[in-house]
Amino acid sequence: MANTFKTDPIEFKPAAAQPAPSSTVGPVAWIKENLFSSIPNSVVTILVILGLLNVVPGVIDWMFISSTWSGASQDACVSDGACWVFIQAWSQQFFYGSYPSDGLWRVNLSLILLFVVIVLSFTLPANIRLKVSVPLFLVLPFVCIAILDGRLVGLDYVNTDFWGGFSLNVLMAAAAIIVAFPFSFLWALGRRSDMPLARSISVVFIEFFRGVPVLALFFMGSVMLPLFFAEGTNVDKLVRVWIVLIFFMSGYMAEVFRGGFQAIPSGQYEAADSIGLGYWQKTLLIILPQVIKVSMPNILATFVMLFKNTVFLLIIGIPEVLQTLLTALSNSNWLGGHAVEGYVFVGVIFWLCCFGMSMLASSIEKKLDTSHRN
Amino acid sequence: MIKLSSLIVGGLAAGLTLGAQAGTLDDVKKRGTLSCGVSTGLAGFSQKDEKGKWSGLDVDVCRAVAAAVLGDANKVQYKPLTAKERFTALQSGEIDVLSRNTTWTHTRDTSLGLNFAGVVYYDGTGFMVSKKLGVKSAKELDGANACIQAGTSTELAISDYFRENKIKYKPVTFDTSDQTRAGFESGRCDFLTSDQSQLYALRIGLKDPKGAIVLPEVISKEPLGPVVRQGDDQWFNIVKWSLSAMIEGEEQGVTSSNVADKLANGKPGNKRLLGGEGELGKNLGLNPDWAYQVIKQVGNYSESFERNVGSGSPLKISRGLNALWKDGGILYSPAMR
Repeated sequence: MANTFKTDPIEFKPAAAQPAPSSTVGPVAWIKENLFSSIPNSVVTILVILGLLNVVPGVIDWMFISSTWSGASQDACVSDGACWVFIQAWSQQFFYGSYPSDGLWRVNLSLILLFVVIVLSFTLPANIRLKVSVPLFLVLPFVCIAILDGRLVGLDYVNTDFWGGFSLNVLMAAAAIIVAFPFSFLWALGRRSDMPLARSISVVFIEFFRGVPVLALFFMGSVMLPLFFAEGTNVDKLVRVWIVLIFFMSGYMAEVFRGGFQAIPSGQYEAADSIGLGYWQKTLLIILPQVIKVSMPNILATFVMLFKNTVFLLIIGIPEVLQTLLTALSNSNWLGGHAVEGYVFVGVIFWLCCFGMSMLASSIEKKLDTSHRN
Repeated sequence: MIKLSSLIVGGLAAGLTLGAQAGTLDDVKKRGTLSCGVSTGLAGFSQKDEKGKWSGLDVDVCRAVAAAVLGDANKVQYKPLTAKERFTALQSGEIDVLSRNTTWTHTRDTSLGLNFAGVVYYDGTGFMVSKKLGVKSAKELDGANACIQAGTSTELAISDYFRENKIKYKPVTFDTSDQTRAGFESGRCDFLTSDQSQLYALRIGLKDPKGAIVLPEVISKEPLGPVVRQGDDQWFNIVKWSLSAMIEGEEQGVTSSNVADKLANGKPGNKRLLGGEGELGKNLGLNPDWAYQVIKQVGNYSESFERNVGSGSPLKISRGLNALWKDGGILYSPAMR
């Protein structure tokens, strides 16, 4: 039997939404809400705007409008603004130091290798990621040194005196943190160990390298260490400070790792024990992967710190980028006072790199979900 | 504190150098390059250009020694050193000679296990004033404000000088030389004081270099020269006489362009210097043409001076004390015979 009742379904039709009152949307409302919501807020806003108006036009004028961009020597710098000719003329020195011009590809290759290994460590499939990228990282510093030095791989020998510039900052920081990585892991394990000797040695080491300022460590590396070596056995200055950087870094990273170890729930250790894993199996297979995951943001933050610390190498005369700038400023053909341009330039490249690393760190953080909510 | 640390460093160094190592000459020959400590950058003395090439008066001393020993002025490995590490680098054997605007003082010469091999440049604390001030001598600076770089020996020197002359002054100290110059330029002080060689470099950086003059007074002794390790007399002699060869070259009128002619047709003195006669080279353990190579490749003292800090350079420093003894200066080479 067919249903004889046939009615149109009654549909609920809401009336078209009214636009929000114009006083609560749009730029005007936003400004009112955020910048002029109260009297103190309005005062601060006006003061800040006045301050910016005072400073920004002058800076823009100096940097872009009345600045000099082209030329070959200081004679081109006649305007009142910044003389970017200085940066341009010295750019090779700033990036590569005195490395021979026909060997610059070797520096570039090292930087590219570093970049490739970093990218690989995030993009490889998860099941082989650690197995491939960890050995790659550990081999990388030595491959880079071999390429730059040249003797081992049959290229022209380039003495470390010629290495320099911003590439040296990057490579030094990377080489130091990579080599420091396994050491710091051992120090952290030692500090958590039950063996009194291992524990006290670790504590002393970590606290020494965390407690002494990096400048003092550099001085020790450059001024004190050579006096203790037998005469004639010269350990290269760059190698000495590299070792200092590794120690310094492993002290800091050990504490990062220790924090990571403490963040792992004790259930993980007990579970590993209960299925009969030994100490190293437990540590390497169960605990370490989780520790790395939890500590990743801190590791990157420590790396940014170390990277910025590499400019301190200038106080012992290593020609990194800031030292190169000072050398350039003291050249008698460039005595026209280009310090501000130089410092702005160095500041900008460091800011770009560090900002990039922070972005990377936050994206890793999201990807790895280090919050450990589960 | 500084004294204590220098004592410790000196003591350590002395302990190390006792067991020394003569034979720097053999080491350098075997290595094929001279390892020379220079500054990390000082206008006119040791400076790097955009191509990474080193030049300067101090650098020319390195080049001269390399020319004398290895026959090639370019076989130098430059080691840029800070003021603090320069002596350690020498004591530890990292460098063969230190040529880094180092003042020859009694303490350094006697307590650090080092020897000063001569004087390349007679420097001293001087004054730069604005031309508008109309001052002709430092004695007229009563009550003036002085721009000084903090923590330098200059501070001591001018405090002594003004106390002796019973002149009052107000020190305005700055942290770096750039700031000192900016302070002078903005009129924070009436005069700027520093080593004379530095004053010329600072003056170039002024917006109006011609508006400032460097006063003739020099109020402290800062003889700058190359340094070697104690205990290797042969090497000490080589550095000392390589420098002397440049000075003697100027005195005898031997230049890099006429050196071949002087060797063939010059006076007996020229021939003796350049290795045509006598045994000067042999006595040093070098080739007979050691001084010939120095002057040919580096030039005599006058050429080096004018090229790096004098009329041929932006610094335009006048010879002053650094002229030859017969031209009114105090530059003098021991007899070359």
